[in-house]
Amino acid sequence: MKSKHDAVKVNQTTQENVEWKDKYLRALADYQNLEKRISETRSHDVKFAARNLIVMLLPAIDDLEKAAILLKNEGLNLAVRKLEEVLKREQVEKIEVLGNKYDPHTMECVEVVEGQEDDKVTEEIRPGYKMFGQVIRATQVKVGRKKLEKVLPR
Amino acid sequence: MAKIIGIDLGTTNSCVAVMEGGSPKVIHSAEGRNVIPSVVDPIKRIVGDVAKRQMVINPKSTVFSVKRLMGRKFSDKSVEIDAKWLPYSIKSGRDNMVTVEVGGKTFTPQEISAQILQKIKSDAENYLGEKVVEAVITVPAYFDDSQRQATKQAGEIAGLIVKRILNEPTAAALAYGLDKKHAHTVAVYDLGGGTFDISILELGEGVYEVKATNGDTHLGGDDFDKKIIDFLADEFKKENGVDLRKDVQALQRLRDASEKAKIELSSSLETEINLPFITQGKEGPLHLVMKLTRAKLESIIEDLIKKTITPVEACLKDAKITKDKIDEIVLVGGMTRMPKVIEVVQNFFGKEPNRSVNPDEVVAVGAAVQAGVLTGEVKDVVLLDVTPLTLGVETLGGVMTALITRNTTVPTSKSEIFSTAADNQTSVEINVLQGERPMAADNKSLGRFILDGIPPAPRGIPQVEVMFDIDASGILNVHAKDKATGRSQSIKITGSTGLSKEEIEKMTKEAEAHASEDSSKKEKIEARNKADNMVYVAEKSLQDAKDKVTDDIKKEVEEKISALKSILETGTKEDLEAKTKDLSDSLQKIGQAMYQKQPSQPADQASGSKEEKVEEANGEKKKEKGKKEDVQEGEVVS
Repeated sequence: MKSKHDAVKVNQTTQENVEWKDKYLRALADYQNLEKRISETRSHDVKFAARNLIVMLLPAIDDLEKAAILLKNEGLNLAVRKLEEVLKREQVEKIEVLGNKYDPHTMECVEVVEGQEDDKVTEEIRPGYKMFGQVIRATQVKVGRKKLEKVLPR
Repeated sequence: MAKIIGIDLGTTNSCVAVMEGGSPKVIHSAEGRNVIPSVVDPIKRIVGDVAKRQMVINPKSTVFSVKRLMGRKFSDKSVEIDAKWLPYSIKSGRDNMVTVEVGGKTFTPQEISAQILQKIKSDAENYLGEKVVEAVITVPAYFDDSQRQATKQAGEIAGLIVKRILNEPTAAALAYGLDKKHAHTVAVYDLGGGTFDISILELGEGVYEVKATNGDTHLGGDDFDKKIIDFLADEFKKENGVDLRKDVQALQRLRDASEKAKIELSSSLETEINLPFITQGKEGPLHLVMKLTRAKLESIIEDLIKKTITPVEACLKDAKITKDKIDEIVLVGGMTRMPKVIEVVQNFFGKEPNRSVNPDEVVAVGAAVQAGVLTGEVKDVVLLDVTPLTLGVETLGGVMTALITRNTTVPTSKSEIFSTAADNQTSVEINVLQGERPMAADNKSLGRFILDGIPPAPRGIPQVEVMFDIDASGILNVHAKDKATGRSQSIKITGSTGLSKEEIEKMTKEAEAHASEDSSKKEKIEARNKADNMVYVAEKSLQDAKDKVTDDIKKEVEEKISALKSILETGTKEDLEAKTKDLSDSLQKIGQAMYQKQPSQPADQASGSKEEKVEEANGEKKKEKGKKEDVQEGEVVS
């Protein structure tokens, strides 16, 4: 015959078992999720391996493009064109903004100016880029407003 | 059971973390960032980076810093001050509570915050692949009941059950596990994007209690950035007579460059700000090229850092304690990455602050730890320990060879194959070592044992497998086995992770201090080991080829052997390497000679199978050098 003490002990053990099972299942689930995520991030990482480097290079590319526009040197123009081809091959493309309606998903508004039409991009200040269709840097733009409100700087 | 997420709902940025596999993990946003700007367009329902980009064009509908308004009455003094500089419109609502008016619609601060929380919730669900319904949300320690209630309501509007409202400084302390370390009094120094907070916590009944808080609601990273921009613009104006702040486009580039410079100067001593074609001058385009040193940066922002000390002193006074009573200091907020900030804090308290957890994430991490406590995940989960120091064995020349490197999570095991140092060595000594220094003698010996009964064989032939196994409670088992005979020996070392914190710190510091000295010592021994091996090979070759080479070559090699031998113990690394190379070059002549003789004497090749007297080697230790004079060939017994 089981004593009361034994019953308590059995109860305790059962409860402990339940707890351990729960912990085990949870750890197992975490592990499986981790495995899934690792394979997802791996394919993502491969695709975007160049991303960080390109983002770091963008300011230098901006400067080169600015120099090409200002200096009007044919050799420099060719060099910039070559650079742009490399970017294109890596699936990096400039975001087209001029004349479009302002869209915060791809553009960062730096200044509001008087314009013919509300919310139309009037000027591209710094180009933005997409890589595999994802924005890696938003385009900085000036946006037009028919009536100019008094606007405080950021 | 579903996960509970931990949310740091900040004034400038927000962050979310969750317990996973027993440790907190920060969840990245859909945009791939670890924090989300706390910026909302409540009409278009855009949140974060995207909302931030439209701040200039839609200043009246882009709401930021809404945390400053949470649970406040319109008549509050702080609201009066904030209303003056916040570009969106602030009104008085029901019960005189603050509301925000956007596009003719009225929003409570709770509703605005709820949109941030909703984005956080959906990012977390994306990451976890399951519904998230429960959360722990942090608030500043000085938040009153109404502000806490408002935060809780924001969570409910976003569809979250708020299991706990947690103080931000407490979260930071939890992130460092200070409660488990029984740190009694903790100071949390939080210098964020727009606010500075200092809190003193005291541990009582296993829970942290906020003793006092102080701060400056308008001091943060933005002020630092502004100082740097002003400095650069002033310098440029002095030189070129153009004020870049008047040119929106130039200012934008300057702003980006200043922030970049600030970040770079946290890790390097000098940076160059290089902005070609920054603006048009009278004589064509102008460029901004300026070197900024860390020292210069520090002089520019020094008074801002000093401004934080007054609130710290006031806070200590309120808590009625002196700074020497503070057991631990925790740094929170991106600005605390700046070396000068760390230095000022360290000098003030006379103690090194905790800063190993990313200061942008530390509050969210602590919230996740609290969430883990609530799900029971943290309470009595098997807390996996790590080995505080490297474990290894002593090998030839008194070198420490690592098997398990420091900070490896246990339980773990690792094995490696070793061999003998001398011919016919029949036993090896396994000296189990702990420490970071490359030389065995400088590390702590945890125990040693001898594995004998290894069949006599030339050096390098026997295979002894040494296995280190640490179980979950930190007990180290070292097992050595001769692969040929299967003979094995083992030792059990308890408390291999049981060094006191001080001991570990001391050993780590020593290792750092001696790093260069140690590595040259180790290099020398490696050179000696190589020389020793070359002598062995040369003597063996000479023996094998004695009938096939001319006396000239024989003499040359013998001379070089003795030259190398004579400096084996005393020579410098360079000498040893030079003489080793000398010998190796001469040795090639033997090789050449043997190949030339080969066709005429094909029968004399079976050198490896000649029966020769096998020396009885008794108990030579691995680290001892074999006796080179009577090198004999041994049989490989398998």
